[in-house]
Amino acid sequence: MATDGFAVPQEKHMPPKTAQISATDSPAVIAARRVRKTFGDGRVLALEDASFDIRPGEFITMVGPSGCGKSTLLRIVAGLIDHSGGDMTVHGSAVTGPRNDVAMMFQKPTLLAWRTAVENVLLPTELAGAVTKADREKALSLLELVGLKDFAFSFPSQLSGGMQQRVALARLLQTGADILLLDEPFGALDEFTREHLNVELMRIVAEVNATAMFVTHNIGEAIFLADRVFVMTPRPGRLARIIDVPFARPRKPELQLTPEFNALVAEARAVLGGLE
Amino acid sequence: MSASDQIDLPKGMAGGASTRRILFNHLAILVCWVGLWEIGSRAGVIDPLFFPRPSDILVGFWRLYITQGNIWFHLGLTMAEVVAGFVAGSALGIGLAFVVGLSDTVRRFLKPYVVVIEATPRIAIGPIVIAAFGFGWTSKIVIVMLVCFFAPFVNTLNGIINVDRDQLDMFRSMRATRVQTFRKLILPEATPEIMAGLRLAMASALGGALVAEFIASNNGVGKLISTYTGNLNMASAFVCVLTLSAVGFFILRGMEWIDRWLVFWTDRERTEAVGRKRAQRWQKGGKL
Repeated sequence: MATDGFAVPQEKHMPPKTAQISATDSPAVIAARRVRKTFGDGRVLALEDASFDIRPGEFITMVGPSGCGKSTLLRIVAGLIDHSGGDMTVHGSAVTGPRNDVAMMFQKPTLLAWRTAVENVLLPTELAGAVTKADREKALSLLELVGLKDFAFSFPSQLSGGMQQRVALARLLQTGADILLLDEPFGALDEFTREHLNVELMRIVAEVNATAMFVTHNIGEAIFLADRVFVMTPRPGRLARIIDVPFARPRKPELQLTPEFNALVAEARAVLGGLE
Repeated sequence: MSASDQIDLPKGMAGGASTRRILFNHLAILVCWVGLWEIGSRAGVIDPLFFPRPSDILVGFWRLYITQGNIWFHLGLTMAEVVAGFVAGSALGIGLAFVVGLSDTVRRFLKPYVVVIEATPRIAIGPIVIAAFGFGWTSKIVIVMLVCFFAPFVNTLNGIINVDRDQLDMFRSMRATRVQTFRKLILPEATPEIMAGLRLAMASALGGALVAEFIASNNGVGKLISTYTGNLNMASAFVCVLTLSAVGFFILRGMEWIDRWLVFWTDRERTEAVGRKRAQRWQKGGKL
């Protein structure tokens, strides 16, 4: 068990690490083999066969224009939609629906307006069973982690858009899931807030030892955050290239001014080139 | 005190010096108004047959409420019809909306009927209902029910259907059960709409009961008004109407108050107050 109250990757619903490795002979927490998705009785191909392995603690970003299947892929991993073919496994077991070890965050904060920040953070615990004193303390410490210590009893309507997404992030961590799926979480916020929250997000994901998949349509943001970038192209949705991002962590925003960084941006752009 | 000066007042000004001045102005205007009416009537400018003198109306109040005391019975009866019809009608509307709203199949099947009912003036069914249920108060309750059914039904349905897709996905990704999703997301999310529907229903409930009593009845304030008017006892008829104004006012204010209490998160001041209360409860370790 984790000692700091919120880094809780080894929970009851997860198989122990050793068992997992022997069962699948791969250290991947998320493994996709020719995962595809079609809509409308197979007529529309939303995602062409995608195969990849994601290692524990990796930060993956998925970048591409609308219709490239990045959100579709994320929802398949989340178990929110079924895939039409191929194998999708998380922690060695096939994804058949939403699960305890995977949690998702949306572009909208999706907070409940009639609940205070801390009550919103406690929602996943409440849905899973009774709320203990330890759960409450964890919720408060998570709010502190996302920088909202003094706003625990504010309602969403009293918070700015950026603060609302911080609450949503705390709620995401409260689930105890070690796989975090983020669907353009700061996409609706202004440039400055977004950059600031991205840096915070990197710190927090590292602190709780989580594995992250982060969807964006901003190439710079994708490279800045990622260990590996999944570059995706549309019509049909395709995982076109995986770019390794070698920069050490923690990263500072100034990194984005270096030639090495811009070389990676150029590489991603070349893959996406010619697209509207 | 008139109704408007309560409604127009900005919150937080109550009891201030300016409030008292506004109140005084309103009272002064009212007194002038009533005085002009009285003088006009005595001078023969206003026909007291149709517009009874304020002094006559005052005497009428004394008579209907104290010396004869007959309005109490009729008012009680009308109010009982309103309350019973409102509760039954809106409960039916909300309940049916939940059944319809949570099932796509039922919704598709019922849609044409809903459209037809929406287009039909409910009060048109009044005489038919009276033929079926008689002159007693059962038929009045049924008519009020019909009048009160639709607004809560439509609003509840809208509230359920308009729940944000991402929020539903969020609940699904947290593996919420259907009951949990209903109780913790759909119901509270739909509450502002439901309350708006109930306010609309309440506003028309009193009218529905009165019209029903006009059509055919032996008792009730509606019957009282039509009888007094038939006898050209206008002062007493005015007493009834003014009584209904007061009743309507308190009903609507009551609904507003319940709305503000229940749907606190749409009101800035209430949100702050509830936040403080929840913080205190949390400190004491109480239930959320």
